[in-house]
Amino acid sequence: MSLLTVALSKGKLFAGTESLFRRAGLPFPDGGSRRLVAPAGDLRFLFVKDMDVPTYVEYGVADCGVAGRDVLLESGSDVFEPLDLGFGRCRLVVARPAGSPAALDGASTVRVATKYPRVAADHFLGRGLSVEVVRLAGSVEIAPGLGLADCILDVVETGRTLEENGLVPVETVAESSARLVVNRASFHARRSEISCLVETLERAVER
Amino acid sequence: MNGTHRLAQVPPGVQCFVGGEARRRRRIEEAVTAVFEGWDYEEIIPPLYDYADVFAGEALAPKTYSFVGRDGSVLALRPDFTSLLAKIAAGRLRDRPAPIRLYYSGEVVRYEPPKAGRQSELHQMGLEHLGGLPPAADAEVAAVACECLETLGARGYVLALGHVGVFTGLLEGARLEAPTLERVRERLEAKDASGVREALAGAAVPAEAKEALARLSTLAGGRSVVEEATRALSFSPPARAALSELRAVVSALEGAGLAERLAVDLGEVRGLDYYTGLVFRVFAPGLGFEVGGGGRYDTLLARFGRPLPAVGFMLGLDRIALLLERQAASPEPAPVPAEAVGGPDLGPALAEARARRAAGRRVRFGAGEAK
Repeated sequence: MSLLTVALSKGKLFAGTESLFRRAGLPFPDGGSRRLVAPAGDLRFLFVKDMDVPTYVEYGVADCGVAGRDVLLESGSDVFEPLDLGFGRCRLVVARPAGSPAALDGASTVRVATKYPRVAADHFLGRGLSVEVVRLAGSVEIAPGLGLADCILDVVETGRTLEENGLVPVETVAESSARLVVNRASFHARRSEISCLVETLERAVER
Repeated sequence: MNGTHRLAQVPPGVQCFVGGEARRRRRIEEAVTAVFEGWDYEEIIPPLYDYADVFAGEALAPKTYSFVGRDGSVLALRPDFTSLLAKIAAGRLRDRPAPIRLYYSGEVVRYEPPKAGRQSELHQMGLEHLGGLPPAADAEVAAVACECLETLGARGYVLALGHVGVFTGLLEGARLEAPTLERVRERLEAKDASGVREALAGAAVPAEAKEALARLSTLAGGRSVVEEATRALSFSPPARAALSELRAVVSALEGAGLAERLAVDLGEVRGLDYYTGLVFRVFAPGLGFEVGGGGRYDTLLARFGRPLPAVGFMLGLDRIALLLERQAASPEPAPVPAEAVGGPDLGPALAEARARRAAGRRVRFGAGEAK
């Protein structure tokens, strides 16, 4: 049987994931390597972009992975999320320039700049507002000031970036944290290995 | 310009199979339908399209390719076989006594974003056991599914069994708004216990049932899950009844020597508008998604005027082919090489070719071809 494969991103969840795996006594590749596929102990690690973790897991290329709830909401991937890992806490919020009216229902169409186009469309359409989603890959916070959008939908941890760019959060769309995600087939077809990993991580989270 | 480039471009979601690929698919289809025949299921070749109303289920309707017929009626290309078979069993086969065992193998067409093993055009092979009761019919259908995978040489396959009655039983009497119910279902399906609790926060559901619903997300694993669930959910008579039905099916399959192949997953709660009892999915190492699945749907046939309980399952030919390729299950036997037949005179050459064909040989006819 092949090694159990774990997809991780080297993004903002990396430090939390590494410390959790080490605390749990699980193997983890040594730092500093640039290898994107790295075996360690009886696990094999893939390092991919954070937005791609759910994809690798959904297709079963990785048996499990660590992804933020924000990323899972956006990807809409059909994976199991059996464990909230407790770190990487943040909120997905709608933020507007300070001083603009809090209500968003003043305009016929809300123009929102975001890295989360799917979450944004679902959120606004779901509450009966027409929406124009301006998809950006980063620096979303500057969009309202430059007239590209009326508001943004983005993740915030401390809120400092928003504040520095003259934005205030007006709605929380979702709370996010790092999740262990598991492929649906692996969950059943490699049950003993997967449940062992889930239990080991769960004990380390509770500590 | 557009016109000419469309002559080369493939529309998204469709596939074309050539030579060895096509042969592999035929062989899979033959193996599976032989198993269906062996369990005394009768083949049915339903029409390619029917009135759109036939497929009006909540899950299928948005995925259906429909079009307007000449008389103004709305028609649809079949997005699945089960509704068609139900219609035929209630209509043309109305005088046939139950149980009726039917099988099919053919393409369905669905609007699906192409991802994770899904195309718009899918080849499904499945069967329906109409008029049979649990646990016997359920166990039979699951056993047939197992035999299909064994015959195909799929290694390490697992049937993950659940029962939607556990979930619906826990919610009996609770008045959940449709969006809340959908969120609870979706979070349970993701095995996210905290998400289930969050979705139920403030809902008019007894605390005991809320906790039990969150617990369902962890009730997945081996056979012992049924007993664990029975103890944990004993306060709910309908959930208990569903579990005892599930236990009877599991025991029957164990009795048939299939214990190794079984998993229990009470978080399996898809298609709630459709499934009414046992549900199962078939997984195998090498493929990240299920190769097929099925379950009991006791209310569908009533829609067509013949209330009969029913249970069935389906295997996706495309996914089976992918799985066998990944598992490198059986080495592909190379086709017999063709014998070249030719000669200057067309008539005698053709006669020679026909003679070799009559002897069952594979010929490549070359007479009269440009050199």
